Amino acid sequence: MLLDFDRLGWWKWMLVSITALVTLFLLLPIIFIAALSFGSSQWLIFPPPGWTLRWYEDLFADPRWLQSAWVSAKVAGAVTILSVVLGLLASLSLTRGRFRGREALRALFITPMILPVVVLAVALYAFFLRIGLSGTFVGFVLAHLVLALPFSIISISNALEGFDKSIEDAAILCGASPWEARLRVTLPAISHGLFAAAVFSFLVSWDEVVVAIFMASPTLQTLPVKIWTTLRQDLTPVIAAASTLLVLLTVGLMLLSLLVRKALKR
Amino acid sequence: MAIVADTRGNSAFASMSYWRVSGIGYAVPALLLLLAFFVLPVLALLLRSVLEPEPGLGNYAALLGSTTYLRIFLNTFLVSAVVTVLSVVIGFPVAWTLAIMPRRWAAVVFAVILLSMWTNLLARTYAWMVLLQRTGFINRTLINLGVIDQPLALVNNLTGVTIGMTYIMLPFVILPLRGVIKAIDPAIPQAASVCGATRWQCLTRILIPLALPGVAAGALMVFVMSLGYFVTPALLGGTSNMMLAEMIAQFVQSLVNWGMGGAAAFVLLVVTLAIYALQLRLFGVGRLGQQGN
Amino acid sequence: MTAPFLQIRNIRKQYGDVVAVRDVELDIAKGEFMTFLGPSGSGKSTTLYILAGLQEPTSGDILLEGRTLLDTPSHKRNIGMVFQRYTLFPHLSVGENVAFPLRVRRKPKAEIDATVSRALKLVRLEGFADRMPAKMSGGQQQRVALARALAYDPPVLLMDEPLSALDKKLREEIQFEIKRIHQETGVTILYVTHDQEEALRLSDRIAVFSQGEIDQVGTGTELYAEPRTRFVAEFIGDSDFLKGRVERAGDGRADIRLGNGFMVSAVPTHGDAGPGRDVALMLRPERISLFRAEKPRSLAATVRDVTFLGNNTHVQAETETREQVAIRLPFGHESAAGLQSGNAVWLGFDPSSARAFC
Repeated sequence: MLLDFDRLGWWKWMLVSITALVTLFLLLPIIFIAALSFGSSQWLIFPPPGWTLRWYEDLFADPRWLQSAWVSAKVAGAVTILSVVLGLLASLSLTRGRFRGREALRALFITPMILPVVVLAVALYAFFLRIGLSGTFVGFVLAHLVLALPFSIISISNALEGFDKSIEDAAILCGASPWEARLRVTLPAISHGLFAAAVFSFLVSWDEVVVAIFMASPTLQTLPVKIWTTLRQDLTPVIAAASTLLVLLTVGLMLLSLLVRKALKR
Repeated sequence: MAIVADTRGNSAFASMSYWRVSGIGYAVPALLLLLAFFVLPVLALLLRSVLEPEPGLGNYAALLGSTTYLRIFLNTFLVSAVVTVLSVVIGFPVAWTLAIMPRRWAAVVFAVILLSMWTNLLARTYAWMVLLQRTGFINRTLINLGVIDQPLALVNNLTGVTIGMTYIMLPFVILPLRGVIKAIDPAIPQAASVCGATRWQCLTRILIPLALPGVAAGALMVFVMSLGYFVTPALLGGTSNMMLAEMIAQFVQSLVNWGMGGAAAFVLLVVTLAIYALQLRLFGVGRLGQQGN
Repeated sequence: MTAPFLQIRNIRKQYGDVVAVRDVELDIAKGEFMTFLGPSGSGKSTTLYILAGLQEPTSGDILLEGRTLLDTPSHKRNIGMVFQRYTLFPHLSVGENVAFPLRVRRKPKAEIDATVSRALKLVRLEGFADRMPAKMSGGQQQRVALARALAYDPPVLLMDEPLSALDKKLREEIQFEIKRIHQETGVTILYVTHDQEEALRLSDRIAVFSQGEIDQVGTGTELYAEPRTRFVAEFIGDSDFLKGRVERAGDGRADIRLGNGFMVSAVPTHGDAGPGRDVALMLRPERISLFRAEKPRSLAATVRDVTFLGNNTHVQAETETREQVAIRLPFGHESAAGLQSGNAVWLGFDPSSARAFC
């Protein structure tokens, strides 16, 4: 009854209405910033009195925006590679290893994900000030790597748990060397997990604000830091333009992962 | 890299066990990274809270003895509690609908939820800052509709924080709860109905109790995430309505008081870990969701 | 039989172009144990769900003691139901599960307590009231479900393949329990199953469903002795079929010529068996006699397989027209001695024990 959509009577319409409203609520800010980024009103009046590309021109005319986006991309790229490699190795150990304290190790690997980021941000900031990594590229990568690793390990471990180890053994019996077997049999079989790990790692680093705010120096800042500092000054529509591009990037990544998932299924 | 040999003698592969991944070896790089850049810095910060400016629990006494700080703690708990209740109350019917609605429509709602989750946090918060301001879309719409005469103060206060946080937290309730409801056998509410239960009784006596583990897990997660949230409260809350995470940042950045900052961080850490421990005790592993901040 | 207690009137259920239940018509007497027997997808469960109010019919009516049930929602029909899957409420104890229908009816506590212990006693689970469903075996869970369905004294109890998830031994044990409970309570039971043995063991009458329709209703003996369609003949008991053609027909009987020219006269027929019509001649394996030497009025065949099954011997034979015939000989039957594959045999039968279907 309650779990049969067509037998809910008027409750069905109540539930559908709530869901539609919540969906609109979730969609509202995203549509809103996209519309404002093309609106001509400096004061962000909605609906906009006219349309313009001025904010995008402003955005691309300011080299600091492009610089920070470039820094973000470099940091996120490095984090993605390191996070997938370290995550794969750690996941192999966590899913196939037989040693004492394995569960404790798994818990430790997940902890950065569930702890309040501000604690890690403050702690790392203090630590990096001491060892001279604050405001450096390496510092950014290390900090984001700590945050991205749990996502990578969860994605890859899940994929590895779903992979039948005896297939790898069979490849070895067929004459493949252990590493050859892993490269040619296991890696392709868990490629969806590796892909998910890469996407999550990239997004974690690309969108990360809190640690970045503490770590940023005047000469090295990521895109979220640039947005943050601009936001604290005023609500310029240029941020709407930047945000819209970020939304587009998100949509692109979602479509890409959808396509990759479909391709990998075949 | 140490690779411990597989000691199971009955394995058909015992003879080639020297290369098998049986030990901790491959986890060492990740472990070293976390020890150096996670465990060590956090412990160092906590150490500073009892060492600076002088050894002792002075920082904690100052933190818990001042009405200013206590009000911040209270604000944080209050906002987190309200956000949790709102997320669960709004999220439950959505998760329920999502679990049973026709696949095609569910996919649309699902895509919107994922889009909102994956969109840059600052972009979303910026949108709410604009939407909620005095001359913003929401106030103007309400005035045009004749609901209000004067614009409401929706931002730079705890109302704004609550709206923005609920927006961010809703998916974290909806997605796991949907899974819990989907796992319930539809024959169970059918049986309740044949037994004589009205639709309302089916809901309150069967569906909600059966979904309760999911509700509780989602609620605990939202609550604990809200406690330590930094960006949204800082941007939507304004200077006079600080929350815990922002207070920690202020101690460190503006006041350069590492002792107090460390103490406040430690309080947040303990509360967070305590709630997760409670969740593990209640529901076991596997429900720990994803946190993005 | 008394006036129909429960009437199923022309019930039809259609999903788009697919007809799940096609104009089903059935009267059930008070206190009767009626089984809906048929393969999956034959519409028997759908009919039951319509009775329970969990699905609406496209057309037709259901009358209980002369009043329609269709405008009553399922929770007000006061009908009991046991489902195929385990549907105990997992968050409630056994006692609370049985009490559930009484609680939603807001009965006083004393009455609830008394009824719960009576219902648990009925299914022989006294002392299990505080147990949680997850801690019980499948058989026990279905017995609790039975107690829950009977707790509010429903006039009709519906059971949708309640034992299909259990293993054979347990199934037989609970079949016996169900039969006892039926006798003790006198409740009218509608029971759905695809297991003919279960249907024969439990029911007063059986309605055989095929492709959304009831092919035949009757007692087990009637269905076995007088199947009205080939489907019923195949579904209830074992049967052999031989191809033939009607030579002469009349008065519900026909003379039929089999493939090799062999004539069978005066076979009772079902359907429109006019002369020249192709028919299937049905024989029950235990009604066929087997001879080792040629006999007049018998069918020549070759043994292909002999299987000793304890109380009887199963013989698989092939006729000259390459049709397969199964024969069952009781233990110690003289023809069975030394019989082996390749032996030539002659098969005889009484035409009145055969049936012809168009």
